[in-house]
Amino acid sequence: MMTLVVGGSASGKSTFAESLVLQRGEGPRIYVATLEPLDGECRRRIARHRAMRAGKGFETVECPRNVGQTEVPPKSTVLLECVGTLCANELFGSGGGPECALTAVLGGIEALNRRCGNLVVVSNEVCSGGQRYEGDTLTYLRLLGQVNQALAKRADRVYEVACGLPICHKGGRPPW
Amino acid sequence: MIFITGPLFSGKRQAAMALLRWSEEELARRAVWEVEERAADCPDLPALARALADYEVVIASEIGGGVVPVDPAERAYREAAGRLSCLLAGEAETVVRVFCGIPTVLKGRVP
Repeated sequence: MMTLVVGGSASGKSTFAESLVLQRGEGPRIYVATLEPLDGECRRRIARHRAMRAGKGFETVECPRNVGQTEVPPKSTVLLECVGTLCANELFGSGGGPECALTAVLGGIEALNRRCGNLVVVSNEVCSGGQRYEGDTLTYLRLLGQVNQALAKRADRVYEVACGLPICHKGGRPPW
Repeated sequence: MIFITGPLFSGKRQAAMALLRWSEEELARRAVWEVEERAADCPDLPALARALADYEVVIASEIGGGVVPVDPAERAYREAAGRLSCLLAGEAETVVRVFCGIPTVLKGRVP
Protein backbone atom coordinates (compact mmCIF):
# COMPACT_ATOMS: atom_id res chain seq x y z
CA MET A 1 0.00 0.00 0.00
CA MET A 2 1.35 3.42 -0.94
CA THR A 3 -0.04 6.64 0.50
CA LEU A 4 0.93 10.10 -0.73
CA VAL A 5 0.60 13.08 1.62
CA VAL A 6 1.13 16.52 0.05
CA GLY A 7 1.01 19.96 1.61
CA GLY A 8 2.65 23.35 1.84
CA SER A 9 5.29 24.34 4.41
CA ALA A 10 4.14 23.84 7.99
CA SER A 11 0.73 22.58 6.84
CA GLY A 12 0.79 19.72 9.34
CA LYS A 13 1.56 17.11 6.69
CA SER A 14 4.23 15.35 8.79
CA THR A 15 1.96 14.97 11.81
CA PHE A 16 -0.83 13.64 9.62
CA ALA A 17 1.54 11.22 7.86
CA GLU A 18 2.84 9.98 11.23
CA SER A 19 -0.72 9.40 12.40
CA LEU A 20 -1.34 7.25 9.31
CA VAL A 21 1.70 5.14 10.26
CA LEU A 22 0.68 4.89 13.93
CA GLN A 23 -2.85 3.67 13.21
CA ARG A 24 -1.29 0.77 11.26
CA GLY A 25 -0.33 -0.93 14.52
CA GLU A 26 1.67 -3.97 13.44
CA GLY A 27 5.27 -4.27 12.19
CA PRO A 28 8.43 -2.19 12.52
CA ARG A 29 8.23 1.54 11.80
CA ILE A 30 11.04 3.01 9.73
CA TYR A 31 11.50 6.72 9.09
CA VAL A 32 13.53 7.43 5.95
CA ALA A 33 14.89 10.97 6.28
CA THR A 34 16.13 12.76 3.15
CA LEU A 35 17.29 16.02 4.72
CA GLU A 36 21.03 16.24 5.32
CA PRO A 37 22.28 18.11 8.41
CA LEU A 38 24.20 20.61 6.30
CA ASP A 39 23.76 23.67 8.51
CA GLY A 40 22.22 24.88 11.77
CA GLU A 41 18.78 25.39 10.26
CA CYS A 42 18.68 21.83 8.88
CA ARG A 43 19.93 20.45 12.21
CA ARG A 44 17.20 22.34 14.11
CA ARG A 45 14.55 21.05 11.69
CA ILE A 46 15.84 17.50 12.07
CA ALA A 47 15.85 17.86 15.89
CA ARG A 48 12.23 19.12 15.83
CA HIS A 49 11.08 16.18 13.72
CA ARG A 50 13.04 13.70 15.88
CA ALA A 51 11.32 15.13 18.97
CA MET A 52 7.92 14.79 17.24
CA ARG A 53 8.63 11.10 16.56
CA ALA A 54 10.13 10.34 19.98
CA GLY A 55 8.35 7.50 21.78
CA LYS A 56 6.41 6.48 18.67
CA GLY A 57 8.67 3.53 17.91
CA PHE A 58 10.36 4.76 14.74
CA GLU A 59 13.80 3.70 13.65
CA THR A 60 15.38 6.54 11.65
CA VAL A 61 17.40 5.86 8.50
CA GLU A 62 19.09 8.82 6.80
CA CYS A 63 19.01 8.56 3.06
CA PRO A 64 19.50 11.76 1.06
CA ARG A 65 19.63 9.93 -2.32
CA ASN A 66 19.00 6.46 -3.82
CA VAL A 67 16.17 5.68 -1.41
CA GLY A 68 15.59 2.38 -3.22
CA GLN A 69 18.75 1.02 -1.65
CA THR A 70 17.51 1.61 1.89
CA GLU A 71 17.49 -1.60 3.92
CA VAL A 72 14.05 -2.02 5.45
CA PRO A 73 12.53 -5.15 7.00
CA PRO A 74 9.71 -6.83 5.09
CA LYS A 75 6.24 -6.04 6.43
CA SER A 76 7.48 -2.78 7.88
CA THR A 77 5.72 0.56 7.62
CA VAL A 78 8.00 3.20 6.11
CA LEU A 79 7.52 6.94 6.31
CA LEU A 80 9.57 8.72 3.64
CA GLU A 81 10.08 12.43 4.26
CA CYS A 82 10.29 14.32 2.11
CA VAL A 83 10.11 14.11 -1.65
CA GLY A 84 10.85 17.83 -2.09
CA THR A 85 14.27 17.41 -0.49
CA LEU A 86 14.86 14.11 -2.28
CA CYS A 87 14.18 15.79 -5.64
CA ALA A 88 16.61 18.59 -4.82
CA ASN A 89 19.27 16.08 -3.72
CA GLU A 90 18.87 13.96 -6.86
CA LEU A 91 18.68 17.00 -9.17
CA PHE A 92 21.52 19.09 -7.77
CA GLY A 93 23.62 16.33 -6.20
CA SER A 94 24.17 14.10 -9.20
CA GLY A 95 24.72 16.42 -12.16
CA GLY A 96 22.68 14.03 -14.30
CA GLY A 97 19.93 16.48 -15.27
CA PRO A 98 16.19 16.49 -14.56
CA GLU A 99 15.37 13.31 -16.51
CA CYS A 100 17.92 11.33 -14.49
CA ALA A 101 16.56 12.85 -11.27
CA LEU A 102 12.98 11.95 -12.26
CA THR A 103 13.98 8.34 -12.93
CA ALA A 104 16.06 8.13 -9.75
CA VAL A 105 13.30 9.52 -7.51
CA LEU A 106 10.46 7.43 -8.95
CA GLY A 107 12.57 4.27 -9.29
CA GLY A 108 13.87 4.66 -5.74
CA ILE A 109 10.41 5.12 -4.25
CA GLU A 110 9.04 2.18 -6.25
CA ALA A 111 11.87 -0.06 -5.01
CA LEU A 112 11.32 1.08 -1.43
CA ASN A 113 7.60 0.40 -1.73
CA ARG A 114 8.24 -3.13 -3.01
CA ARG A 115 10.54 -3.87 -0.11
CA CYS A 116 8.27 -2.75 2.73
CA GLY A 117 4.64 -3.62 3.26
CA ASN A 118 3.31 -0.14 3.62
CA LEU A 119 4.82 3.16 2.43
CA VAL A 120 3.70 6.65 3.39
CA VAL A 121 5.35 9.34 1.25
CA VAL A 122 5.38 13.00 2.27
CA SER A 123 5.78 15.59 -0.49
CA ASN A 124 5.62 19.36 -0.82
CA GLU A 125 3.25 21.59 -2.71
CA VAL A 126 5.51 24.37 -4.01
CA CYS A 127 3.99 25.07 -7.40
CA SER A 128 1.35 27.65 -6.45
CA GLY A 129 3.62 30.68 -6.35
CA GLY A 130 3.90 31.43 -10.06
CA GLN A 131 6.62 30.58 -12.53
CA ARG A 132 8.69 33.72 -12.66
CA TYR A 133 11.74 31.99 -11.25
CA GLU A 134 15.30 31.55 -12.46
CA GLY A 135 16.15 28.49 -14.57
CA ASP A 136 17.27 26.10 -11.83
CA THR A 137 14.25 26.80 -9.65
CA LEU A 138 11.84 26.33 -12.55
CA THR A 139 13.57 23.03 -13.43
CA TYR A 140 13.13 21.95 -9.81
CA LEU A 141 9.44 22.95 -9.76
CA ARG A 142 8.79 21.03 -12.98
CA LEU A 143 10.56 17.95 -11.57
CA LEU A 144 8.64 18.02 -8.30
CA GLY A 145 5.36 18.58 -10.18
CA GLN A 146 6.04 15.58 -12.42
CA VAL A 147 7.07 13.44 -9.45
CA ASN A 148 3.95 14.37 -7.50
CA GLN A 149 1.72 13.53 -10.48
CA ALA A 150 3.41 10.16 -11.00
CA LEU A 151 3.25 9.31 -7.29
CA ALA A 152 -0.42 10.32 -7.10
CA LYS A 153 -1.15 8.02 -10.05
CA ARG A 154 0.78 5.17 -8.40
CA ALA A 155 -0.48 5.65 -4.84
CA ASP A 156 -3.49 3.89 -3.37
CA ARG A 157 -4.38 6.94 -1.28
CA VAL A 158 -3.64 10.64 -1.89
CA TYR A 159 -4.18 13.34 0.73
CA GLU A 160 -3.61 17.05 0.58
CA VAL A 161 -3.11 18.58 4.03
CA ALA A 162 -4.24 22.11 4.90
CA CYS A 163 -4.01 23.51 8.46
CA GLY A 164 -3.36 19.97 9.67
CA LEU A 165 -6.58 18.64 8.10
CA PRO A 166 -6.56 16.03 5.34
CA ILE A 167 -8.41 16.50 2.04
CA CYS A 168 -8.80 13.15 0.31
CA HIS A 169 -8.12 13.16 -3.43
CA LYS A 170 -7.99 9.38 -3.85
CA GLY A 171 -8.66 6.21 -1.91
CA GLY A 172 -11.22 7.26 0.68
CA ARG A 173 -11.12 9.15 3.92
CA PRO A 174 -8.61 8.22 6.62
CA PRO A 175 -9.98 5.45 8.87
CA TRP A 176 -10.86 7.54 11.95
CA MET B 1 -16.94 26.87 -20.92
CA ILE B 2 -14.96 24.61 -18.61
CA PHE B 3 -12.39 26.39 -16.49
CA ILE B 4 -9.47 24.26 -15.30
CA THR B 5 -7.08 25.52 -12.68
CA GLY B 6 -4.43 24.17 -10.32
CA PRO B 7 -0.77 24.64 -9.44
CA LEU B 8 1.99 24.75 -12.03
CA PHE B 9 3.04 21.34 -13.37
CA SER B 10 0.01 19.69 -11.80
CA GLY B 11 -1.19 18.03 -15.03
CA LYS B 12 -4.00 20.44 -16.01
CA ARG B 13 -3.79 19.87 -19.76
CA GLN B 14 -3.50 16.09 -19.33
CA ALA B 15 -6.55 16.20 -17.04
CA ALA B 16 -8.50 18.21 -19.65
CA MET B 17 -7.69 15.66 -22.36
CA ALA B 18 -8.59 12.75 -20.08
CA LEU B 19 -11.86 14.32 -18.85
CA LEU B 20 -13.05 15.29 -22.33
CA ARG B 21 -11.39 12.40 -24.20
CA TRP B 22 -9.63 14.88 -26.45
CA SER B 23 -6.43 14.40 -28.43
CA GLU B 24 -3.59 16.94 -28.19
CA GLU B 25 -4.71 18.30 -31.54
CA GLU B 26 -8.26 18.84 -30.24
CA LEU B 27 -6.90 20.49 -27.11
CA ALA B 28 -4.83 22.88 -29.20
CA ARG B 29 -7.88 23.79 -31.28
CA ARG B 30 -10.58 23.96 -28.60
CA ALA B 31 -8.74 25.09 -25.49
CA VAL B 32 -6.53 27.94 -24.39
CA TRP B 33 -3.98 27.72 -21.57
CA GLU B 34 -1.53 29.80 -19.53
CA VAL B 35 -4.16 32.55 -19.66
CA GLU B 36 -2.78 34.01 -16.40
CA GLU B 37 -0.01 35.49 -18.58
CA ARG B 38 -2.64 37.54 -20.45
CA ALA B 39 -3.77 39.18 -17.22
CA ALA B 40 -0.44 40.92 -16.68
CA ASP B 41 -1.06 44.16 -18.59
CA CYS B 42 -4.77 43.78 -19.26
CA PRO B 43 -6.76 47.02 -18.86
CA ASP B 44 -10.14 45.23 -18.69
CA LEU B 45 -10.14 41.85 -16.94
CA PRO B 46 -13.93 41.24 -17.15
CA ALA B 47 -13.80 41.81 -20.92
CA LEU B 48 -10.84 39.42 -21.18
CA ALA B 49 -12.71 36.79 -19.16
CA ARG B 50 -15.79 37.14 -21.40
CA ALA B 51 -13.64 36.84 -24.54
CA LEU B 52 -11.85 33.76 -23.20
CA ALA B 53 -15.22 32.19 -22.34
CA ASP B 54 -15.76 31.68 -26.09
CA TYR B 55 -13.31 28.76 -25.85
CA GLU B 56 -14.66 25.40 -24.74
CA VAL B 57 -11.87 25.02 -22.19
CA VAL B 58 -9.80 27.70 -20.48
CA ILE B 59 -6.77 26.69 -18.36
CA ALA B 60 -4.96 28.89 -15.85
CA SER B 61 -2.30 28.19 -13.24
CA GLU B 62 -2.82 29.17 -9.64
CA ILE B 63 0.02 31.54 -8.90
CA GLY B 64 -1.16 33.34 -5.78
CA GLY B 65 0.55 31.07 -3.26
CA GLY B 66 3.87 31.84 -1.66
CA VAL B 67 5.12 35.23 -0.55
CA VAL B 68 3.66 38.42 -2.03
CA PRO B 69 6.41 39.66 -4.37
CA VAL B 70 8.42 42.77 -3.48
CA ASP B 71 8.46 43.98 -7.08
CA PRO B 72 5.34 46.13 -7.80
CA ALA B 73 4.94 44.80 -11.37
CA GLU B 74 5.14 41.18 -10.16
CA ARG B 75 2.64 41.99 -7.43
CA ALA B 76 0.22 43.56 -9.93
CA TYR B 77 0.58 40.58 -12.28
CA ARG B 78 -0.19 38.10 -9.53
CA GLU B 79 -3.17 40.14 -8.39
CA ALA B 80 -4.54 40.40 -11.94
CA ALA B 81 -4.01 36.68 -12.55
CA GLY B 82 -5.97 35.79 -9.41
CA ARG B 83 -8.82 38.16 -10.30
CA LEU B 84 -8.95 36.77 -13.84
CA SER B 85 -9.28 33.24 -12.44
CA CYS B 86 -12.20 34.33 -10.24
CA LEU B 87 -13.89 35.97 -13.23
CA LEU B 88 -13.33 32.89 -15.39
CA ALA B 89 -14.75 30.66 -12.68
CA GLY B 90 -17.80 32.96 -12.67
CA GLU B 91 -18.20 32.70 -16.46
CA ALA B 92 -17.69 28.92 -16.47
CA GLU B 93 -20.43 26.30 -16.32
CA THR B 94 -17.87 23.89 -14.89
CA VAL B 95 -14.77 24.55 -12.78
CA VAL B 96 -12.17 21.84 -12.19
CA ARG B 97 -9.14 22.07 -9.93
CA VAL B 98 -6.28 19.66 -10.63
CA PHE B 99 -4.02 18.53 -7.77
CA CYS B 100 -1.12 16.17 -8.53
CA GLY B 101 -2.93 15.17 -11.70
CA ILE B 102 -6.18 14.38 -9.88
CA PRO B 103 -9.20 16.52 -10.91
CA THR B 104 -11.79 17.79 -8.44
CA VAL B 105 -14.96 19.47 -9.74
CA LEU B 106 -15.54 22.71 -7.82
CA LYS B 107 -18.57 23.89 -9.79
CA GLY B 108 -21.10 22.30 -12.13
CA ARG B 109 -20.26 18.94 -13.65
CA VAL B 110 -18.06 17.56 -16.38
CA PRO B 111 -20.19 16.94 -19.49
